[in-house]
Amino acid sequence: MSSSLARPAAPPAPRVEPDAPRPTLDVTVLVPVTERPAPLVELYRAYAAPLRASGRSFEFLFAASPARRDAVAPLAELAAAGEPVRVAPAERNVGETALVREGLRESRGRIVVTLPAYYRVAPEAVPALVDAVERGTDVAVARRWPRRDPAINRLQNRVLNAVVGRLTGAAVHDVGSGVHALRREVFEDIPLHGDFVRFLPVLALQRGYAVQEVDAAQHPGDLGTRVYAPGVYIRRVLDLLGLYFLLRFLDKPLRFFGLVGFALSLVGAGTLFVLLVRKASGETIGDKPLLLLGILLLTLGVQAVALGLIGEMIVHFSAAGRRIYRVRPAPATPAPPGAPPPSR
Amino acid sequence: MPVPAPAGPTELPTELSVVVPLYNEQESVPALVDAVRDALASYASWELVLVDDGSRDGTAAVAERLAAADARVRLVRLARNYGQTQAMQAGFDHARGEVVVSMDGDLQNDPLDIPRLLAKLDEGYDLVAGYRKGRNDKMLTRKVPSFVANRIIAWVTGVRIRDNGCSLKAYRRAVLQRLDLYSDMHRFLPALAAATANARITEIPVRHHARRFGTSKYGLSRIAKVSADLLAIKMITSFRDHPLTMFATGAAAASLGGVAVVAAWALSSQVGSAAVERAYVLPGVALLAFSLACFLLMLGLIATVALHAPRALGGEPAPPAAGRPPA
Repeated sequence: MSSSLARPAAPPAPRVEPDAPRPTLDVTVLVPVTERPAPLVELYRAYAAPLRASGRSFEFLFAASPARRDAVAPLAELAAAGEPVRVAPAERNVGETALVREGLRESRGRIVVTLPAYYRVAPEAVPALVDAVERGTDVAVARRWPRRDPAINRLQNRVLNAVVGRLTGAAVHDVGSGVHALRREVFEDIPLHGDFVRFLPVLALQRGYAVQEVDAAQHPGDLGTRVYAPGVYIRRVLDLLGLYFLLRFLDKPLRFFGLVGFALSLVGAGTLFVLLVRKASGETIGDKPLLLLGILLLTLGVQAVALGLIGEMIVHFSAAGRRIYRVRPAPATPAPPGAPPPSR
Repeated sequence: MPVPAPAGPTELPTELSVVVPLYNEQESVPALVDAVRDALASYASWELVLVDDGSRDGTAAVAERLAAADARVRLVRLARNYGQTQAMQAGFDHARGEVVVSMDGDLQNDPLDIPRLLAKLDEGYDLVAGYRKGRNDKMLTRKVPSFVANRIIAWVTGVRIRDNGCSLKAYRRAVLQRLDLYSDMHRFLPALAAATANARITEIPVRHHARRFGTSKYGLSRIAKVSADLLAIKMITSFRDHPLTMFATGAAAASLGGVAVVAAWALSSQVGSAAVERAYVLPGVALLAFSLACFLLMLGLIATVALHAPRALGGEPAPPAAGRPPA
């Protein structure tokens, strides 16, 4: 259950919707339809073929904002022709993460595969990922390998992977692939907020799940040179900053703000000390802009620490009755005598 | 979240739970279990809760074997390495005893001290902490920093414990039920217990052995972290019910500073030479101080929101109404 700050004491709301879909299929392929989707009928045909050949029951679920209504409209014909295609329309224009969350709620597969609405990996990758999950990993991630696209793409990818790896400590080789397969329970257990769907594997590791990378051939449609507008890169950097802060300081914000505040205050105090020495030697300091700088730094430092304290308060009050850790489920044996007690 | 499952109906109520977080302690575990078993031979019903904190060595397998061989030994396996605080919390959550004892898994604590902790608890305390006497550790990198840190912690939190770093402690269940540990708060558990559960706390000396296996998992580099945590604990323990007081105090101090600067400025512009800069710099300083005061006051109000919002807004979970946009 996702954490909502407003209700720490309430137990996770049971999923009691009477018409809630039960996992009745082997696989749901969940396609969030975002900006500039490929023609979806062709996309469906391409990816459905190898999945059908693998003998599994499946559905394709396209989650789309109202703005993408035109893109998903042709899918109605497929559905009418009896193909396992559904559209989960969001009610307002939301981002990819919200689409995925909405789609997950609608999905019926025991394993859920996220697939971008454009070509990233060869269609054969989807059953390969499902295989990996069926063999026991919690999350399987497609890694586009070997790469065949232009050097500029690979460079961007390498930088992104290196930065994510460095910041999160996770050994990831293709953060951008966007093709993941997860057991349904695992997917439902991973808190997805903001813009973090692209970091799904990292968040899964954080929740203590096993993540496995599966090499997947690059789709020919993925070979074009990708250079984005500067705004896209700025957003990525902000995403990463947010992710880093979340992973590192979520339950200890004062460690971050305290350090920043301490550093600022230290410089400020040093400045003031220099001025004090000068005053002792007879100079006037009341007219020095340096005095202003020293006080400003000190003020900023105090503010940073105060913000950190606010963070600590929020953490303290939202920690009540919640647990961060996850216990590894016991192997399937008849209830051992050491079963955990009723939770309090 | 621990999976709730009913305890066996035929079992005796468990008197005592010993909780031991384990991280890469495969060599120590068998000896540890034996030592606990020997030390508690005279107790009718006890359990040993081993918490494997995502060890990378064979700890889980070893512990699993030991748990299978003795029904009183239980194993809780965490999904990854969460750190000692969460491992302890997991152990507390799974412990069934009326009294819970926590200790380290590296055999530096001696289970033979457990009966003495329990005897002390029976004198009417809620938490008995052990302090390591004749500590077998390096002087310069372990003992001296630890001594200084403990004095500071005692002074700041007001809970006079000589050795916050000693894991060997005994708690009444009621105290643990009122604690939710996060971050690295296990180090300040007595202070938290005093603040949130009103626990009566005392301490007794316990034995301390040199490390037999493996390496110590701490270093000297913790000062910044512990300082930040200590500040957080201070705020939580002193101001959790009225955070505005704390921020308002800061705001008052800043305002006072601002007033002092204004006074100095008024004084100097009357007496001294009328330098043009003086007319700008000192008032600037005063304005900064006043703005800090405003900022702190506003933060205090936000802190009040953080305190009250969970309870004031969160009476009932909203119904899963159709047509409601996804949360």
